[in-house]
Amino acid sequence: MGIINFAPKILDPIPGGKYVVNAIDYVVNWARANSIWPLTYGTSCCAIEMMSSSMARYDIARFGSEVFRASPRQADLFILAGTITRRMAPAIQMLWEQIPGPKYAIAMGACTISGGPFIYDNYAVVRGAQNLIPVDVFVPGCPPRPEALFHGLLTLREKILKETCRNPWHEGQPKDVSTMDRYREAAKTWAALEEMKDEEMAEARAKFKEENPDYKSSFKPIRVKKEDFPEVERKPFRRVGLTQLELYQKLHDKFPGITFHTHSEDPIETVLANAPADRPLEVMVEPEDYVAVTEFVKNDPEFKMDFLIDVTAIDYDDHFDLVTQLRSLQIGHKIFLCVQLKKDFSIPEEKRATSLLASVPTVSHLYPAAEFKEREVYDMFGINFEGHPDQRRIFLDKDFVGFPLRKDFTHPEMIRRPV
Amino acid sequence: MFVPSITNPVGDFVREMVPRLAEYLPASIQSDTLNSIVAFLVNALICVIAVCAVNIGSAPILIYMERKVCAHVQCRLGPMRLGWHGTIQTIADVLKMLFKEVYAPSGADKLMFYLAPLIVLIAPFIVCALIPFGRDLVVADVSMGIPLIIAVNGFGVLGILLGGWSSNNKYSLLGALRSGAQMISYEISFTMILLFVVMISGSTNLMSITLGQEGTISDWWIFKIPVLGIIAFILFFISSTAEMNRAPFDIAEAEQELTGGYHTEYNGTPFAMFYLAEYIALVTNSALATTCFLGGFLPPCIGVAFVDNYLNMVPGVVWFFAKVFFMIWCYMMVRWTFVRPRVDQLMDFEWKFLLPVNLVLLIAGAAYIVVCG
Amino acid sequence: MIQPRFSNLPPGFRIQRETNTEEFFINMGPQHPSTHGALRLALRMDGETIVELVPHFGYIHRGMEKQAESMSYLQYIALSDRQDYLTAIQNNLGVVIALEKGMNVGVPEKGEYIRVMLQELGRIASHLVFYGCFGGDLGGQTCLLFGFKEREMIHDILEEVTGSRLTTNFFRPGGSRYDVPDTFIPRVKAFLDHLEDAMRDYERFLSKNIIVLERSIGIGVLSKEDAIAYGCSGPVLRASGVEFDVRRANPYSIYDQFDFDIPVFHNGDCYDRYKIRIAEIHESMKILRQCIDKFPKDGPWRSKEKPVRLPVGRYYSEIETAKGLYATYVVAATTGEKPYRIHTRGPSFPHIAALNKMVQGHKVSDLVTIMATLDPVIPEIDR
Repeated sequence: MGIINFAPKILDPIPGGKYVVNAIDYVVNWARANSIWPLTYGTSCCAIEMMSSSMARYDIARFGSEVFRASPRQADLFILAGTITRRMAPAIQMLWEQIPGPKYAIAMGACTISGGPFIYDNYAVVRGAQNLIPVDVFVPGCPPRPEALFHGLLTLREKILKETCRNPWHEGQPKDVSTMDRYREAAKTWAALEEMKDEEMAEARAKFKEENPDYKSSFKPIRVKKEDFPEVERKPFRRVGLTQLELYQKLHDKFPGITFHTHSEDPIETVLANAPADRPLEVMVEPEDYVAVTEFVKNDPEFKMDFLIDVTAIDYDDHFDLVTQLRSLQIGHKIFLCVQLKKDFSIPEEKRATSLLASVPTVSHLYPAAEFKEREVYDMFGINFEGHPDQRRIFLDKDFVGFPLRKDFTHPEMIRRPV
Repeated sequence: MFVPSITNPVGDFVREMVPRLAEYLPASIQSDTLNSIVAFLVNALICVIAVCAVNIGSAPILIYMERKVCAHVQCRLGPMRLGWHGTIQTIADVLKMLFKEVYAPSGADKLMFYLAPLIVLIAPFIVCALIPFGRDLVVADVSMGIPLIIAVNGFGVLGILLGGWSSNNKYSLLGALRSGAQMISYEISFTMILLFVVMISGSTNLMSITLGQEGTISDWWIFKIPVLGIIAFILFFISSTAEMNRAPFDIAEAEQELTGGYHTEYNGTPFAMFYLAEYIALVTNSALATTCFLGGFLPPCIGVAFVDNYLNMVPGVVWFFAKVFFMIWCYMMVRWTFVRPRVDQLMDFEWKFLLPVNLVLLIAGAAYIVVCG
Repeated sequence: MIQPRFSNLPPGFRIQRETNTEEFFINMGPQHPSTHGALRLALRMDGETIVELVPHFGYIHRGMEKQAESMSYLQYIALSDRQDYLTAIQNNLGVVIALEKGMNVGVPEKGEYIRVMLQELGRIASHLVFYGCFGGDLGGQTCLLFGFKEREMIHDILEEVTGSRLTTNFFRPGGSRYDVPDTFIPRVKAFLDHLEDAMRDYERFLSKNIIVLERSIGIGVLSKEDAIAYGCSGPVLRASGVEFDVRRANPYSIYDQFDFDIPVFHNGDCYDRYKIRIAEIHESMKILRQCIDKFPKDGPWRSKEKPVRLPVGRYYSEIETAKGLYATYVVAATTGEKPYRIHTRGPSFPHIAALNKMVQGHKVSDLVTIMATLDPVIPEIDR
């Protein structure tokens, strides 16, 4: 609460005092509107456009707003640049509370207005900043251009100029309104407006026809000529290192349990020999062999798979496929080890969604890179990694319920995409 | 009864005027003691107003100048919308800061938290009072000018340490500790350079230091002693930049690392005071550099009588502020050109390079005086 | 000897050590000027020295992979823009190559040239942002603006070609959305001539600056073995002495037709990571100049348009973006327009995983330098 907010209480009862209050309003609003210091905050793409707007080409300094403060206590304006996730939401509310009043918020970009590209089938994104903090100006775009941000800034300036210290700045109580309801309402209003416009236009058109019966439009639409493009055969990229067949045979000699999954009726050797050159070999490995095979391909001089590209998984009805993607930096070939992990259906059905359904030994002692990747798989699929040094959730809160990348995952905030 | 008096030309004028005006009063309350007390109070008031006017008046100009210099270094335009080329932008900033909400974070030591910005402001104000702006324009013409400046300058670090500690924030604390270490270290070389000036000028009074440079440009302390003067000036420039916590030595604020360092938790008016202190320190340090090296309020005469006559016609205070703003411009250009060293490198630079060089400089200066002077 | 104050360390911290001093924890982020987005770093400090670092991700986890399962393949190309928004145009190509492998369509020569030129422009744009952030994080705010100044010219070209500044959504299986305008080649030529001069200035500004040298040489050393083990790629890996570039190791598009070098440095410190990116800008300019010379005037710029339907199978593509190895893994369980699962391997994730190894024993200021030279983009990690 600033001192200035006491002025109307003291001055208004005095005769002529309200003119003084009006004068104070004018001066203070002029100062506030022209010196808006934003907070250095940005989560994704919009942050880069926000940075661009303060750079030499666009130069937000012309409006006196180049003083980006890193500490919320010295900022006036909260530019919400970038998607807001559920995990970030408390931090945003805390930042908003730390900004001393009068404070303003600009929601920059489609994500902060409604969730933007992330509105459907999404469990992580907050649909609109207005669910968290009161927003003054919305700047649409994905991401908005710097000019659009300036327009938002100038709109905010006009808004500030209309403020009065008789009715001080909003303290920032979040409104408990469901975003989707608001959207439906907005859509209804929009449709009604369109209808009204159509009616008016129909009248105008009829009137115009009456007045000019001989009128003929000279408008001719320009049609883009559909070009005929030729069909081009795809040339597979150059193969480096051993062929898939050689890799498969060498691995198969050492570990006979290894197979190759194919829909074709031909023998595996023929399928592999005919496979495109730039397709990596993906072999099915038994869970028992998994660590041994990984260790073998890492240390064997013919394979030298020293580089772990990724560890990921795929959820099927009754099993997970854990895919460990390895490549050799020196030789250049790749092997994808695919482990089929049967889901543990002994767990009662109501507990299945929240419990770990499969288990596999970790390879993080062979590849330190696997440590974070396995945490991701654990977080997303609920696969247990035996012997993992630090198995915690990585992207989601530790109290998040369920494992999102499972096919049967449901979340109360998730809206299905209408087909 | 002892009545303090301020020794400056304005003070003399007031002391002269007060008894004359007192003659119009009834004779029963006329007394010399009363006259001197009134003279002192009037003097003090004038001095306070003068110091505040110079300091607080120059801060918005400097902030505007900084934003413009920064913008033009970075191929931008800077503030353009408010007034001609954004000239009244800073006024809006200051007004806005005054009317912002003020609060202390939970767990902060409230007394210390609000006291710290005031303490930071003390040092530059006192230094400003000692500097001669013109032949008759000095607030306090004390004979121990330089030692007083050295003593007072140590005050700034106290405020920063208090502010950082009382904020109850680890970033603030780290920034304050960095700043404490840095300012205490650089004060040594800062002092050494001032001692060098005292040595060659033979006086600790700032007015007589200035008047010792009378003559042509080559009589300024920066040029009077060949080579040594310029080295001393450069060393003064470096150590005063560090003393002011300005970039590239702004490790205490270090926005990229500590999000503002010791003033992370400050908002509204207290933050504006830190801001103000930074820019007043810029004025006083530039003024000190001008006084000690660039001839103070003396015009840059070149020894040709025809030109010098014209140069002498310009009041000294104009020359003084021209030189001060040139120095400030140098500080700003340095700020927007260099990157920031690390905290331990900064300490190494002081203790392993600046201090030995300063000692050598002192000895060389002494040798020069013995041999040539 | 004082006992460590924290007998139970917070999750993630592992190093057990005895200390004479009192350790404390600092939390950097999720809103912090130098974490390059919404990343949270928990630091365990001994004075100003970092004992251990634990990164916390997920503040910008947007569930893209879950969402992709109900999107069509073409829609996912638009999502890939929003992963690494500094190299959006390169991400597009990564996804598109995987789709082309499945659809088995090729690209005509002009289309390939358009792809390569836009790729290299995107690489220069990203490295210019790196230049700016590196200087800016060291405390030289002016560098930040210099880097962005030339980047705007690339954005002008991108806007003319793709219609968008940042999120381009430009490539399609079989080519691209549009042909390039006639002004494209002259503009790129003019830009390259300008950049040549500008880079000379920029290198003079940072490369020989004594404070930059002091602050970056020997800081954040990542050995060759560690760099490989942690799965680092791109400039970070090459600065550690491993000559690995997908453009050379597994050439995609028509990168095997150009004459360019893969710059490799061997110290693995911050200065090498800075120098290698400057060298890469020059290599990209070399490729662009060759493209301008060879650019086919006529001919189709894309192949026959087909519906994007992938047969059952798993398709993998990898490209070299400005940050490193960007791999897309597409799983099609049924022939159709929707993927069963799409997984993206971004280059920044392993770099942050290796961060703990690099910062131990350094100061907070060095952490900022190291973060800047890793050049991470957090939304690409979290997806």
